[in-house]
Parts: sequence; structure tokens; C-alpha cells
Amino acid sequence: MTDTTEDTPKKKKAMSMTAEAAAADERGSQDAGFVQSKHAGHHWSGEAPMFIYAVWYLAFLYIPVMFLPLFSFNDSIYVAFPLKGFTLQWYGDMVDNPALLRALENSVKVGFGVAMASTFLGMFAAKAMTRYYMPGKGPITSFIMLPLVIPGIVLGIALLVISNTMGMSLSLWTIAAAHTLIGVPFAMLVMVSRLEGFDRNLEEASLDLGEGVVQTFLRITLPLAWPGILASVLLTFTISFDEFILAFFLAGNEVTLPIYIWSQLRFPNRLPMVLSLGACVLVFSFFIVTFSEVMRRRGVGPQGGAAI
Amino acid sequence: MKRMGINEFQDKLFTGKLSRRAALGIMGTMGVAAMTVTPRGVRAAQQPLVFEWSGYELPELYPPYFAAHGEPEFAFFASEQEMATKIRNGFPADITHPCAESWGRMDDGGLLKPIDTARLSNWGDVFAGLRDIDSIRNANGDIMMLPVDWGNSSIVYRTDLYEGEESWCMLFDERYEGRLASFDSESSVMIAGLCHGYGKEAFNMTDEMLAEIRPLVEKQAGLVRFYWNDQTEIETALASGEIVAAYAWNSAVKSLKEQGIPVAYAVPKEGILNWLCGLSIVQGGSGDDDLIYEFLDAWLDPMAGKFLIEDYGYGHSNSVSFQVSDPELVAALGFPSDPIEMLDNGIAFQPYDPQVLQNMVNMFDEVKIGL
Amino acid sequence: MTDQTQTGGAVGSYTENTSLGFRVRSVFLKHEWLRGYTLLSPTLLVMICLMCVPIFMLVAYSFWTQNYLDIDKTFTFANYEAFFQKPIYVALMMKSIRMSLFCTAVTLVLAYPMAYFIAFKVKSNKLVWLILITVPFWTSYLLRVFAWKVILGYNGVINSGLISLGLLSEPLQFLLYNPTAVVLTLAHAWAAFAILPIYVSLEKIDRSLLEAATDLGDTPTERFWRVTWPLSMPGMVAAGLLVFIPTVGDYVTPRLVGGTTGIMIGNIVQSQFGKANNWPMGAALSVISMILITILVVTFITSTTRARAKSA
Repeated sequence: MTDTTEDTPKKKKAMSMTAEAAAADERGSQDAGFVQSKHAGHHWSGEAPMFIYAVWYLAFLYIPVMFLPLFSFNDSIYVAFPLKGFTLQWYGDMVDNPALLRALENSVKVGFGVAMASTFLGMFAAKAMTRYYMPGKGPITSFIMLPLVIPGIVLGIALLVISNTMGMSLSLWTIAAAHTLIGVPFAMLVMVSRLEGFDRNLEEASLDLGEGVVQTFLRITLPLAWPGILASVLLTFTISFDEFILAFFLAGNEVTLPIYIWSQLRFPNRLPMVLSLGACVLVFSFFIVTFSEVMRRRGVGPQGGAAI
Repeated sequence: MKRMGINEFQDKLFTGKLSRRAALGIMGTMGVAAMTVTPRGVRAAQQPLVFEWSGYELPELYPPYFAAHGEPEFAFFASEQEMATKIRNGFPADITHPCAESWGRMDDGGLLKPIDTARLSNWGDVFAGLRDIDSIRNANGDIMMLPVDWGNSSIVYRTDLYEGEESWCMLFDERYEGRLASFDSESSVMIAGLCHGYGKEAFNMTDEMLAEIRPLVEKQAGLVRFYWNDQTEIETALASGEIVAAYAWNSAVKSLKEQGIPVAYAVPKEGILNWLCGLSIVQGGSGDDDLIYEFLDAWLDPMAGKFLIEDYGYGHSNSVSFQVSDPELVAALGFPSDPIEMLDNGIAFQPYDPQVLQNMVNMFDEVKIGL
Repeated sequence: MTDQTQTGGAVGSYTENTSLGFRVRSVFLKHEWLRGYTLLSPTLLVMICLMCVPIFMLVAYSFWTQNYLDIDKTFTFANYEAFFQKPIYVALMMKSIRMSLFCTAVTLVLAYPMAYFIAFKVKSNKLVWLILITVPFWTSYLLRVFAWKVILGYNGVINSGLISLGLLSEPLQFLLYNPTAVVLTLAHAWAAFAILPIYVSLEKIDRSLLEAATDLGDTPTERFWRVTWPLSMPGMVAAGLLVFIPTVGDYVTPRLVGGTTGIMIGNIVQSQFGKANNWPMGAALSVISMILITILVVTFITSTTRARAKSA
């Protein structure tokens, strides 16, 4: 007990080591899991059902969307069996429709922006919620969740009124702002579930040891939060990419994909080209995932596997 | 072909757009604020902002305008209700696309400008009946909606799967329980009124009349497989045979026949419904006034009408459009020689009194909840 | 090493003098919430700026009445009275919450093993699995609903398949256009929103805890219930909220696949704000469902926190 105050440099060093080691341990916890599951590797009786379940679940997720590529080649404007014949017409229509492609581009732009902004805001909120003792945590959490319970039409019109009052013209920025509003609750909850229960001593130790706030954040907090950040980015992008009603009220002359799709339902003969576009988005996403995975395997080696 | 020419135009246009976007991008580097507060007026060309259903932005629907000025700015909506709400809350559109029964509410809210038909070169070719019709004029006699697209609303049925007299009561036929569909809207209540024999009064039902047809609405709710929300949904169900008879717009018949599905469009003995939609000029937009009128005029062009008739299966207000369209197709679509003939024989959509509409909507919701 | 655990880490190193330590600690506590709020302030500021108008609008409208295009701004409880005077509206509210709870339960139960699989069984390319789970939802919801209709519909995959196998003579009608179809479609649509938070919380579980449990003689099942399950509760709570809250107010899915019996409260709210043009009534309905949701969420959170405190 007494010797702790005596030899501060030594203690500092020791603390520093433990903090770093613990952070590295948390970071590398999946490596531990990796080792452990290798240990359990011969228990295939325990692993096989999980794997089979995972495949079934993926099938459940994919079977509906796999009909999109199928029907995008079907020579009928209707999404119904029996199939009529093979055609590339819908892909031609799609390429021939700059408005549709521009809507896709806008949606991707807005989605990325929203994913960044809401993850950023959500992370700070989650950090504050899990890290500090604060009065009024409950009401604040409820307040941040509110955008999810207010009907979209009310939220959309209210934000339209705000932007008019402030003299902002409607653009992709206003859509992104509205989507960020509903993205933050998602980001915050995901980040809270990641950060809750982490050893706060790690950060305190790092700060005590004279590391700056920024360094502490980069070296301790960020690596610990990383899986949460990725999950939040994926979810908020998905939310924004498929949102209609807020986007509708806040769109100027640049529209997003859902607005374009929903407003042309009046004309059934225009649905198939949306199917082709959906199929292209699917295939393109797969391509990106496969490509980056191949690159990662080639470039970084086994250590890179711990990225998430 | 003509289409190729237009594609070239589109390409040019697209590149033009891209450069404009590049310019915006450069502005964007000056910061978020700089980009968001860019007023519309800064744009070099005062192109009008047209608030439309998507599918109506194709240059084929306003060829003279497109040739002279390229594409105007477009914004899209999926329901007239949402369109009106957005405009009422300050969306600075210049032109929008309401229907005869829906522009009145917008005009009451002071959202629309009267149209000066003297500035439209094609106005003289518009069917005389449509030029004189009441449903485009407000109480002052001002024309508030330029009539453009029109057609019927009735019941589409599978001739191979449904047998029976053509009547609005087809949608209340117990023999086809689970194989019928109607529109997820207060229109289904109005249709019950038509089946009950109210005729034109179905658009202005008193509380007693509504109470009288309520059992009919309840009966239908029990018979239908679903209430549809859009044409795509109901046409798909008719094509697969899941549904044998459904309320739908006339374009459905054209698309279904093209896909080789045996369907017919009922002419109900109580009278077929007619709809008329068109373009209105919105107050408070910042588009150039001359361009707005040029755009309206372009929609009345016979070539625009030909595209509307042949590709979408809707009627067009310019009588010349029918002369330049494929006569076989015109005959197959069942268009009368003059829309006014159709409007006289059938029942035109009329605006509901706001309170009546509210009662109908509530009754329809309550019937659905009660199931 | 023991000294560290006793003094509680860094803060403890200043506390050899109790009176001074007490003062330092009290100042620190004050600082702590200050620091918390400082960290929270950007998010809170953005939310307050954007949310005050919508909230004010919603609450204010619910006490007003609509008169065609105008709003009668006399304060009244008429909208709330109208709601409670109509038992079918109350019943619909309850039905929507039941459907949503059921849907949340189904989604979570299906998602948990998947999240567990990715967290513990997938060795190197976890990100790929996460993206694989998200990619289906980058297609328009509308298209996915059309696809569900192709599968469940009258001439759909399931019916055609069963008929061609000779197991059926007439297509099954109950697969589509009812509450079950709504729940199924929603469970599919919100899958990623359940898997990712659960995965994120499972992933942070310290593997040494699991090893310790095994060393203490726990069977894998015991180990799961004593270690993994309680530690994954934050993820379950987040997932539960993220699925439950948005689905209560959903109106698109019931409209598209719910048929005449799958209607939910969101549809009525929608028609009050839309066709019926009765904003005050729509606002009152929204406020009531917001209050109900809040009560449920708070109960849910407190009960899980208590359960976790008990198990810890």
C-alpha cells in the first residue's frame, strides 16, 4: 500500500503497461476466441448445428432478394410466375434513364453522409452515456429516441417548415440532415451496447499518464469501439438508403432512389427497370465485398483478420 | 427513330447536368452552409420546377419545350395528398399535376394561380367539351387546371375467370370471395354508393346515406383479398390470377392485354367513372413565367398526346392527338370520339365536401379495424 | 498489483488523505457530469435544434381541432376523448403493440444464434459476414415486398411447389394478407437491426471469462447462461428497442401485405394526417402511442437492468 506513493515513475510505467496490455487484450479478444474455437475445433458436433443455422438464416435473408435478379431478366412487366422469357430490355431501360441513375447516386451520397454524421454523433452520445455518471440519463435517452416514434409525415413537414424559416433551400443536404436525425438513435444504441461495461480505468490510466485526450481517444477508445462503429455505419446507411417520407418532404429538385421508385408506381411498366437496378446494386455490393476480401487476404495476411 | 433523337438529346442534357453538378461541387468545397443557402434564383436558366409523378418527366411528353430549352427541373411525388401538403408548407414548385377533384382544395388554400389560356397556342385544339367544362374553373370562372390527361376508372376483370353482369356490384359478389380487390382509399366507399344506386350522389353522401351503405362496405371488406395501393400491385395480382376482378384505372387494361392476359374493362350499368387531370401553376415559384407557359403549351402538343395515348394508355385533351395516334390502338383502348361524350354518359370524379370526405375515410378505417 | 485493485485505479492514487481526497472526489464528481454533458452536447444540440419544432407541432396539434384548411386553436381534449370513446381504436392500439412485440421477439430469437455464430464461430472475416447480412437491405423495401408476394402469393413459389408435389389441390390463401404475413415481412426487414447490436455486444465479451467458467467446471450450456447471456444483454436491449419502436408505428408493411386484417395503428395515423385531413386527431393518436411506447420501453429497460444486477 505505502510503496505506491513512493515510486511514481515505476508505477507509472507499470500502469502504462497494464493499460496498454488490457486495451490490446480487449482489442485482440477475438484472437482469444480464435484460439479457443481452435481448441474446440474437434467438437464438430457442437459447431455444425450453428453453421447450418447460419446458412439457413442467410437463405431466409437472401431468398426474397434473389428473386430480383431473376425477374429482372423476365420478359414481362409483372413480378409473377410463370416466367415468360429472357430479356435484357429492362437493363437497357435502366441505362437509358439518367434520372433513375442520378437518384441512385444521390441516395448513395446521402447514405454515406448520414452514416458518417450519425455514427459520429451517436458515438459521442454513447460515450457520454456509458462513461460518465450523469443525472437525467433516462430522459435524455428517451429524447434521442423520439425521432423514431414521431410519425414520419410530421417530422418531414416540421423539418420542411424549419428549413423554410431559416431560408435554406431544399437539397440533398436537407435530406441528409433529416436522415441523420433518425440515424442518431440507431447509432447511439448500437454504440451503447458496445461501450457498456468497458473498463473505464483504461482511459483514466492513459489520461493520468499524460496522454492527451486525442491520443487516448485514438489509442484506447477508438479500437475498443471499432466493431460498434462499423455496425452503426452499416445500419445508418441502410436506414437512409431506403427512407421515403422524410426524403420526400425535404427533397428539392434532386431526388433519392426511394422517392423515384415510389412516385412511379402509377406506371407498372416502369417497375422492371427498378428491378434491374436492384439486381445491379446486389451484384455490385457482392463484387465489392469479394474484391476487398481477396485484397485483404493477399495484402495484410492473417493479422488483418482481427480488423473486426 | 424518333426515340433515338431524344436519347441524343438526353445524353447532351446529362453531360450538361454533370457540369452543373461539378460547379455545385466546387461550391460545396466552400462549406456546407454555402451550398445549402444557394438560392434557386442563382441558377442561370430560370427553368421552372415541375412537381410531378415520376414517369411524367419523360421529354416525350413535352417535345417542343425540350427541343427549345431542354429539361426543366423536376421534383417527384407519390400521392396528390402529399404533394399538396408539401406545397402548402412552402415548397417553391412552379407547376404541378393535380386532378379535377383535388385542385379545389389547393385553390382554397391560395396555392394556385389562374391560367391565361390566351398564351397557349394549342388551346384551340383542345376538345371543346374540355375547354368549357366546369371542373377546371373556380367560383370566379378562372381556369385553375389545364386539362391534359383523362380516362376511365372501372373494374378490370379476367374474362376467363369471372362471369357476370358488368356492374359496380361485381366487387360485392360472394361467389368470388377472396378473389376480389378494391382501392385502399375512400373511393371504395364511394363505389359501394354506386353499387347501391346513388349515382352522382355517391360523391356527396349525407350521414344517412353513408349509414345505409355501411353494411355494403363491411361486406366488401370481408370479400376482398386485399385493398390495393398502387397500379403495379393490382396489375400483378390480376396477371397471376390471384384476383379475378378489381377496381383499377384504364391503363391497366392496356398493360395487361399487352402481356397476353385475357381481361376486359367493365362498363358498369350504373355508369363508368371518368377522371380528368392536368397541370396547374403554383403560387410563389421562381421559374420564368414565359417558360412556364411554354411548358404547359408543350404538354398540349399533339405529339405529347400521341405518346401519352400509345405508351400510357391515357386519353389526351388535344383532339389532334387522336388523329396522329395509331388508330387500331385508339380503338382497342375504347376511347370515345370525344371525351365529352364519355363525360356525359359516365360519372365524373368530383371533389368531396371536406366533412363528407372525413366521414368516409373514418368509416372505411373503422370497417377495416373491425374485421 | 494488489494495491491497484484496492485503490480502484487512477482516481485512487490521489486519495491517501481522506479529507483532501473527499474534496477532490466531490469536485471530480461534479466534473464528471460536466464532462459527460460536454461530450453529449454536440449530439444533444443537433437533436434539440431539429426536434423542438416537430415535438411542439405534434403536442400542440393534439389539443387543437381541424376546420377544413384552418386549425381551431382553442385548447381541447376532444381528440383524446374521441379516441377513448371508440373501443375499436383502443383495441387496434393494443393489437399493434402486440404484433410489434411478437415481431420483435421473433426477430430477436432468430437473430441471436446468428450473432453468436459470427461473434464466436467465425474466425477471420467477420466484416464480410456483417456486410453479407446487410446487403439484402440495400434493395428497395418495395421490391422486397413484391418478392415476398411472389413467394407467399396465390400462384407463388410455396403454393406452386406444394401443388406440383401433389400435397395441395388449391393454393393456400392464409400465407399472405394477414397479421402473420406482416410479422414475417417485418422480421425479415429488421433482421440486420437485431443481429448487429447483439453481435457487437457478444463480440466484446472477454474470452478469459469464458475460459474461467470452463475451468470452474461449467458445461457449455451453464457457461452460456451464466456468462455469455447476461453479458450480451446490452445488445439484446438495443436490438429490442431498434426493432420494437419503429415497427409499432409502421404503416407501409401492413398496407402492402396485411390485407384487410393486418391493419395497424400507423395506418390510421397516416390516414388522419393524409386523406381525412384531420391533423389534430392524427397528432392525438401519435401522442398516445408515443406515451405507450415510452412506458413499455422504460419498463423493459428497468426490468432488464434489474435482472442483470441480480445475475451479477
